[in-house]
Amino acid sequence: MSSKKIDIKVTDISKGQGILVPIEPVDEIKLPPPYDKLEELPGFKKLTQQALDKYDGYVDGVIAVGVPKPQNEEEEQKLVESFLSGLMKLFSNENNWTFLQPLVLSMEHCAKCQTCNHDCPVYEASGEEEIYRPTYRAEILRRLYFKYVKPGSPLLKKFQYGDIELNWTLISRLVELSYRCTLCRRCAQSCPIGVDNGLITHELRKLFSQEMGIAPKELHEKGTVQQLEVGSSTGMNALVVKDNIEFIDEDMSEKVGFKVETKWDVEGADVLLIHNAGEILSWPENPGAFAILCELAGIKWTLSSEAVGYDGVNYGLFYDDVQLARIVVKHAEIAKKLGVKKIVMGECGHESKVLGIIGERIIGGDVHTENALTFMENIINSGKLNLNPDRNYFPVTLHDPCNLVRIMGVVEPQRRILRKIAPKFREMHPHGVRNYCCGGGSGFAVMSGNNFADWRMHFSGKMKFKQILDAFADEDLNSNSPKYVCAPCSNCKGQIRDILDFYGAKEKSGIYYGGLVELIINAVDDLKEPFIDFDMM
Amino acid sequence: MILIYILTILTVITFFVAVISKIIRISSAPVHLRWELYPVPHEGGGKAKYGGSRLEEPDWWEKKIHKDSLGELKVMIPEIVFLKGVWEHNKQLWIGSYPFHFSLYLFIVNIALFSIVTILKLLGNDVLFSGNIIGQIIYYAILIFAWTGSVLGIIGTIRLLFSRIVDPNLSKYSSASHYFNIIFIGSLYFTVFLWLISGRDFVADVSNFYYGFITFSTAVEIPTIGYWHIILSLLFIAYLPFTHMSHFFTKYFTYHKVRWEDEPNLPSSKLSKKLMEQLNYPVSWAAPHIGADGTKTWLAIATEIPKKEK
Ligand code: SF4
Ligand code: SF4
Repeated sequence: MSSKKIDIKVTDISKGQGILVPIEPVDEIKLPPPYDKLEELPGFKKLTQQALDKYDGYVDGVIAVGVPKPQNEEEEQKLVESFLSGLMKLFSNENNWTFLQPLVLSMEHCAKCQTCNHDCPVYEASGEEEIYRPTYRAEILRRLYFKYVKPGSPLLKKFQYGDIELNWTLISRLVELSYRCTLCRRCAQSCPIGVDNGLITHELRKLFSQEMGIAPKELHEKGTVQQLEVGSSTGMNALVVKDNIEFIDEDMSEKVGFKVETKWDVEGADVLLIHNAGEILSWPENPGAFAILCELAGIKWTLSSEAVGYDGVNYGLFYDDVQLARIVVKHAEIAKKLGVKKIVMGECGHESKVLGIIGERIIGGDVHTENALTFMENIINSGKLNLNPDRNYFPVTLHDPCNLVRIMGVVEPQRRILRKIAPKFREMHPHGVRNYCCGGGSGFAVMSGNNFADWRMHFSGKMKFKQILDAFADEDLNSNSPKYVCAPCSNCKGQIRDILDFYGAKEKSGIYYGGLVELIINAVDDLKEPFIDFDMM
Repeated sequence: MILIYILTILTVITFFVAVISKIIRISSAPVHLRWELYPVPHEGGGKAKYGGSRLEEPDWWEKKIHKDSLGELKVMIPEIVFLKGVWEHNKQLWIGSYPFHFSLYLFIVNIALFSIVTILKLLGNDVLFSGNIIGQIIYYAILIFAWTGSVLGIIGTIRLLFSRIVDPNLSKYSSASHYFNIIFIGSLYFTVFLWLISGRDFVADVSNFYYGFITFSTAVEIPTIGYWHIILSLLFIAYLPFTHMSHFFTKYFTYHKVRWEDEPNLPSSKLSKKLMEQLNYPVSWAAPHIGADGTKTWLAIATEIPKKEK
């Protein structure tokens, strides 16, 4: 535990001005050499004076959201009223039918036993910092719920549930705090009562976005709004995306020695493949490998060039049910219009979760969806690929994206694939449904404004880095012979890329990362050259 | 004694009205979006063991859904009987919490046994004192449960109270009612313990009270500590459903209606009709990008193209 810890209580959230708990990197999660020297790592960037003047909500000296400062007392009062009105809506059938029942259950039955605490990678990595305790932000909302939403004698409520002062300081800090949890729901797995602190955080974010219009710009303006307006959260319109894919096709054709051609808007196709469009820009070999896979398997597949249809991203999942609904409805409309048999989601956890389970109760069950891992295993089982595992003769470990594994129960297909194609595959510990989040969950992987990226590296992502190093502990971590972290999720890949860069793990230990489909294509024996080229990664 | 009988009736009514109305309130909430958390123990085909789901199957919608209800029991029983989750994730707490809860279970078993023997007595079979072997077994079982329950309960109470006071992880999050609740439950254990060591025939006393209650007889004699225990127990039973301790039955919902709830939304199913109704709920969220006016429905808002934000 950190030595100079400030003793924080739940009620402190509304007290004082400025930063509640100034945080700094700590050494709670011990890393093996050559990563054991905390002092060699960059610390937290200092906030600029401009940011300090512009924003409120200083809870830990980190800015993820950037809550605009109210100009005067009147505006501040209005914001408090707006929060209260959102609080009421959060507990109403009409406005929050989507999550009301689980939310109320989580509000009313926590035993404050703290059994969930040590399952949280953020709480652990921070040296048990009070404000990151899974129950801390949950308890703030709980007290507000009992104070303002539930009827009853104030005195009795205070006796039963405790009290809290509602003011702008609390609200602005709570906005930031709701973006210090990756919504991984690992803590919820260990709650004996079934209370879900991840859900509570999710609901807080919704209140801020849906009522007060406060959300991180990477998720809102540059995320869902841009996606609905332009077609993709990457900013690519249909023309640009087609151009990029054409380029990828050419590249792939050259690489594999036969023509790889992506088909667009094929009516009645068996499969409408929807990638996270970030792949097209950041990891073009991933959609490229998918195209090769479909060609080799003889699948009648298509991409959609309609706005939103070529981007499976749906950041609404992380902060706003209305934006979530708008995007998932659009995906479903496009699939129906094309008359495809099923949508296959690319290697993207949150996209898979939205189209696979969450969105199902919005769009109806007549649009069939399948996650990429199941889809790929089925192709492998069909025997259409000539696979040679020796082509993947390097150490491989597997990250479990929370949304695909813990939340959807897609656990074994990817493992069965790896056991077939990667002779040096080894598990992380823990793995499967108990694996840790990469630290980029709930949108964090795309959020790097101000000094939030530093927070992601030091706190939310540190446990993952330790797991990766431990998985390769039997290899020489001081040699740069390639080791591969397979992360079948776009956002997880983004976070793992940042962690590996931050620690210099590629240079020091030869740790690379990538998706699963790349490993499959790399194992295809008919290809002249290896698909994965570590020198180019 | 008549007052205690009246209090008993009021307690039973309060308890059931409160529990039933809470069940109605929770179960009449709108159907929520899926929010399951794996492992889901009713997943068939060996998937529950590692946390897999039917989504691991290609074209899962064409296949029959195997729901293994026994799988749920396999998780629920050790969870309820042994507090398995707490044991696995928080052993320090389990040391106090388990005896504390287990004692309550023993007391509940005793309530059931006393109820059975009272009914039998009404039917003319005073099984406890008829000298037959079954009566003897029940008599000693009750006595053993009462002794074990009260002793373990007192140990659990002291341990839990101690942890809540000295462990800042717990004390920071405890309201006055947390301490009150532990002491309240502890008082039930303590009064039974005092009753047991009072030299009276505990089983005879309590069964007389039950029989007296059913027949509304004033000729029942119990010691002062017995009065204390009965009054405290009645107050506790009436109080219980109004606290977070109602998790003893709401846990059904947190598990079965959230954590393990994975019903697919099949076309023309009851579920899809219900969801369609909900999509027609009006929205009044105030942020400009929502574009709500209090009358527009979720369906309208989700399908319209939002106006450009400035
Ligand atoms: S969320 Fe669950 S485990 Fe955590 S403190 Fe509350 S009841 Fe205990
Ligand atoms: S959901 Fe994950 S990150 Fe959030 S509090 Fe729980 S364990 Fe921590």
